[in-house]
Amino acid sequence: MLTVALDAVTTAAMLFIIAAGLLIVFGVMKIINFAHAAFLTVGAYAALVGAHLNLPWFLVLPLAFVAGALCGGVTEIVIVRRLYKRPLDAILATWGLGIVLGQLITLMFGREVQFVQAPISGTVHLFGADYSAYRLVMIVAAVILGLLFTGLLNGTRLGLSTKAVIMNEMLAQGLGVDSSRVRLITFALGSGLAALSGALITPLSSVDPNMGVPWLIGAFMLVMVSGGSLLALAGSCAVLGTLQVLVSTFVNPILGGLTIAICAAIVLRIRPEGFARA
Amino acid sequence: MPPLIVPALLVALAAAVILVAPLLLDTYLVNILVRACFVAIAAITVDIMWGYCGTLTFGQSAFFGIGAYALAIMFTEYGFGTWQIFAAIGAAVAVAAAVAAFTGWLSFYPGSTPLYASVISLVVPIVLVQILYSGGTFTGSSSGLVGFESFDLEIETWLRLAGLGLLATAVLALVVMRSDTGRLLSALRDNDSRCTYLGIDTSRLRIVVLVLSAIVSALAGFFYAGFGAVAAPENASFAFGTNLVIMVALGGRGTVIGPVIGALCIEVASAYLANSLPYVWELIVGLALIIVILVFPDGLLGAVMRLVKRGRSAVATTILQPAIAATAVSNPDAVAIEVRALGKHYGSLAVLDGVQFTAYRGELLSLVGPNGAGKTTLIRCLSDGRERSTGNVAIAGHDIARLPPDRVVRFGLGRKFQTASVFETLTVAECLRVARTHADPPALTSRSATLALPPAAMSVVERSGLGERLDEEARNLSHGLKQALELAMVLSLEPDVLLLDEPTAGLTRAERQGFADILTTLARRDRLCILLVEHDLDFVREISSRIIVLHQGRLALDGSVDEVVNSELVREIYTGQHVSHAEVPA
Repeated sequence: MLTVALDAVTTAAMLFIIAAGLLIVFGVMKIINFAHAAFLTVGAYAALVGAHLNLPWFLVLPLAFVAGALCGGVTEIVIVRRLYKRPLDAILATWGLGIVLGQLITLMFGREVQFVQAPISGTVHLFGADYSAYRLVMIVAAVILGLLFTGLLNGTRLGLSTKAVIMNEMLAQGLGVDSSRVRLITFALGSGLAALSGALITPLSSVDPNMGVPWLIGAFMLVMVSGGSLLALAGSCAVLGTLQVLVSTFVNPILGGLTIAICAAIVLRIRPEGFARA
Repeated sequence: MPPLIVPALLVALAAAVILVAPLLLDTYLVNILVRACFVAIAAITVDIMWGYCGTLTFGQSAFFGIGAYALAIMFTEYGFGTWQIFAAIGAAVAVAAAVAAFTGWLSFYPGSTPLYASVISLVVPIVLVQILYSGGTFTGSSSGLVGFESFDLEIETWLRLAGLGLLATAVLALVVMRSDTGRLLSALRDNDSRCTYLGIDTSRLRIVVLVLSAIVSALAGFFYAGFGAVAAPENASFAFGTNLVIMVALGGRGTVIGPVIGALCIEVASAYLANSLPYVWELIVGLALIIVILVFPDGLLGAVMRLVKRGRSAVATTILQPAIAATAVSNPDAVAIEVRALGKHYGSLAVLDGVQFTAYRGELLSLVGPNGAGKTTLIRCLSDGRERSTGNVAIAGHDIARLPPDRVVRFGLGRKFQTASVFETLTVAECLRVARTHADPPALTSRSATLALPPAAMSVVERSGLGERLDEEARNLSHGLKQALELAMVLSLEPDVLLLDEPTAGLTRAERQGFADILTTLARRDRLCILLVEHDLDFVREISSRIIVLHQGRLALDGSVDEVVNSELVREIYTGQHVSHAEVPA
């Protein structure tokens, strides 16, 4: 029972880490970045390369972040920027980019499944149960990420500009906010976070060119349900992540994998604003 | 009819090619082409959903897969035979239609966004594939169903049948999409909310289109599986669904022919290249998709067609005629709008509070007040039953309850938006025809040459000069003409109540005067009740029969033009002097 509870919390933390980057892009640009899964994979392979080079873990994570942010920055300038007025085309183009990145990774690294050693191995004895130490690290990572984000949005000039763009882009432009710069930084940041999340989850899952795709739908739905609010995202990850773990454990794992998508779809149908104003 | 000769010849030519082709091609290519034809049929359904209706869908593969599995499961469980064929077709159609109806219910409701519908369309194949995986021997799990007896036909016959099936689907799709009904679907894509405010239940329309295209896609999948005697989870997967979208995007969305060419080319090319150039082929497809979307948004065929069309000017063909006059106004002074204790709150912030007034037919009522007084919010609350927080609204004697705008419109309400809201890619005549959907249901297979308009709409069309530009696309009109077009569209509904939100903003003096004349005629002669939001007090003074002042969410004044214009409050509001809240009579 305790293991299930810990599973629920750590799953929610992982979902939060993965969906956070998607959320800020959705919040600012009102598009879903379909290349998110590919950026996540880029981060995972960055971690793999780092591990082969015997880099210490605290260097691997920034490396993954930078790799993702660079990909994201270039994507924003070359593709997304030109499609502001055509949001559906923008998601289709990012999907095309996802295909391209996936195939490039396959050509460079092969399609076989690879593994990365966790920096912290073994189990921790917690409340009378042994639990994977690295999974617990996910909770810490999610909390740090959430706090960093809140700080960034509420405590910096960039955060202020970003909030202005989210609320009223035209007005923000009129007040001298360089909204295309805000969009560029947001997209790079979101992509960097995707890669960071990829690097963070690699020790728990295998690395392969399509590893990001299974996470994609869950992350999409969580972001839609959260409607651009970080707090709502944390809440939806907690609720839907717990449901997923419960269904996987007690009903059947395949149904568990679909829980988030189905529940989120039904929540959105009944309550179109999702959990955003709950 | 001479204009039909060329298309008829083209269809005959295509049919001849399909019948002869199997004799000239090698078996491997014929094999690929048969599958490609069925995939192309599914691509046409994606084009209708996306290119014409504006819903980007990744889910058509799910219906294709349902068709494939209906056949495979039936033939595996009960063997091959006549009744099994019909039962399998029935099951394919029924299940696909049911799943599509449910998906449609999830995706399309008043207020749903296109992005949301796209994401739902992505969920459907993923859920279906997981169900197939967990179906054990019934669905063959991850390896699918093979080894059942299926149609015993020569491969050449298969290609002829598949090719003719594709041709028939394409011709049918083209005919319907070019008909008045097809234009209605394009109107949905261009401007969903304008459609809603023309009394069209857009959600239901989208669901109907989804169900029909799901059935076609399921039939394509049915024969695809029948040909190969295999049904695999890949046939239903979201990867296949996105491939269909890529085919449509590359070929040219909204053209029917483009997606067919895209599907055939990609299917044949993948069959030859996927083995010799693994990964690189998919890389090329991904790059091609990005480039086409950035550079040729309407795909390769769209780009070619634009080159051909350049230089060819539109030929005026539409003839205006008066609609049979609706029954004469029975009670020219009846109550048109009745608002009781209306309130609108966002949390603790009250945007409107206790607003109460009655308006009669033949009145031209102006709603004035400073920015942020709640004028536009009030208009929204009158036209959309779900907007207000408290109170009651009745339009022409009907309580609007919590009804969505398309239902409120049917009580006799017409709303013109602040910025001209028309269908950009439709011609003026098509825009007006869409507005007449409720009175003249659009033809399914043909385009009408005539356009019947009620007198009020007709007079706006004639006075504004739109009458000479009926066959021009709305996006090419000036701002003033777009405003006039939207007004004519709203009047085509033959409303009893007309809501106008700053209709004269950005108009020239002459256009403004024309507008004033039109409005006064509508109120006096046609006995419409007009509620006008306006900032320009001179304009208001000139045309109004009564003025309502809204201030800080409350109804501050309600009286004749002289009473209101000369009141202390209005002078203070408009000269910018502070009026404390306490002094405002509620």
